[in-house]
Amino acid sequence: MTRARAALGLAAALLLGPALAGCASDADAAGGGTPELTAEGAYIPRPPTAELAGGFLTIENTGDADDALTSVTSEAADSVEIHTTEGGTMHQADALLVPAGGELRLAHGGSHLMIMGLDSRPAEGDTVPIQLHFEKSPAISLEVPVRPATYTGE
Amino acid sequence: MHLRKITLTALALVTAAALAGCGGDGEDTADAGQSPAAQVEGGTAPDEGTVLDTPFDKPDLVLTDTNGESYDFAEQTAGHATLLYFGYTNCPDVCPLTMSNIATAARSLTAEQRADLRVVFVTTDPERDTPESLGAWLRAQGPDFTGLTGDFDTIQAAARSLGVYIEPSYTDDNGDIVSTHGTQVLAFLPTDDKAHVVYTEGVTQETFARDLPRLLEGELP
Repeated sequence: MTRARAALGLAAALLLGPALAGCASDADAAGGGTPELTAEGAYIPRPPTAELAGGFLTIENTGDADDALTSVTSEAADSVEIHTTEGGTMHQADALLVPAGGELRLAHGGSHLMIMGLDSRPAEGDTVPIQLHFEKSPAISLEVPVRPATYTGE
Repeated sequence: MHLRKITLTALALVTAAALAGCGGDGEDTADAGQSPAAQVEGGTAPDEGTVLDTPFDKPDLVLTDTNGESYDFAEQTAGHATLLYFGYTNCPDVCPLTMSNIATAARSLTAEQRADLRVVFVTTDPERDTPESLGAWLRAQGPDFTGLTGDFDTIQAAARSLGVYIEPSYTDDNGDIVSTHGTQVLAFLPTDDKAHVVYTEGVTQETFARDLPRLLEGELP
């Protein structure tokens, strides 16, 4: 177990950078397993303008291999970035680990999607199409509901 | 195709460990690389305001409002309950949530109370937040809100005098502009024009809705 965890930690560190090494789970990423991903609880708080919206969701991995969220796209926006937040500042991330048997949470106060240049300012009840792209798994398409601006998933 | 199964319910799952950097099901998660964005010191509940033992004076702060006119913060807000927040518009999570929480709470006030309340948003990113862009962003949330922009050093000094620490925007290794927002809203009372209450990021619209009528009367929540 310790060796497997150490090996995974190293793999994660090489793949995703040291910040994510703490996210390692017990699965052996180097083995021949398969990640199995589902996206849950996605929402976009209604943004003040079309220029910039946040997006939140949880990606669960019930498989036995790690995966990584590598990019996000939307046909309704100019671009979508994946951001991590530390203190009061946020940084764009290249990829975020979705650990085997675990999950990647993009939640208020932590990591989020930054959706830029929407075609128009969405209203509550609208949906915004996004596609999640992964290192290993096929892309997941979502119609993300727009919630009240004060919604935090709680 | 089971890999693509999508569930849009289960929102409750997002809540409990919302601030944890990453999930996982092992004990390793305790030392995950990210720390919570909102922290409250001193034992106050994260969704409540904290009453300051030593209230802050209003800073000497003259900036430009979203009409492009000079705005003297102390002068314009004298004798009014005032909420002050430092943030930036290119911020998809905490800044609009904070202002929307205040806006939603303000809608529960009477028209007279709303006219008495001052809500002031000072940009921490004056290079990108022009009076025009800041005005559009702010009006979409609270039509009566005041947005201020101007010299960063002036803004930083005013923030620091209130215990709010912000850094100038910079360009990171990805070529992205990185800005900082404050982590608290300051509430000034109309009676002595001092900030007596601090609301951190865990505060909800319900807390503001409950506290605002008291603040407008010059009372502590």
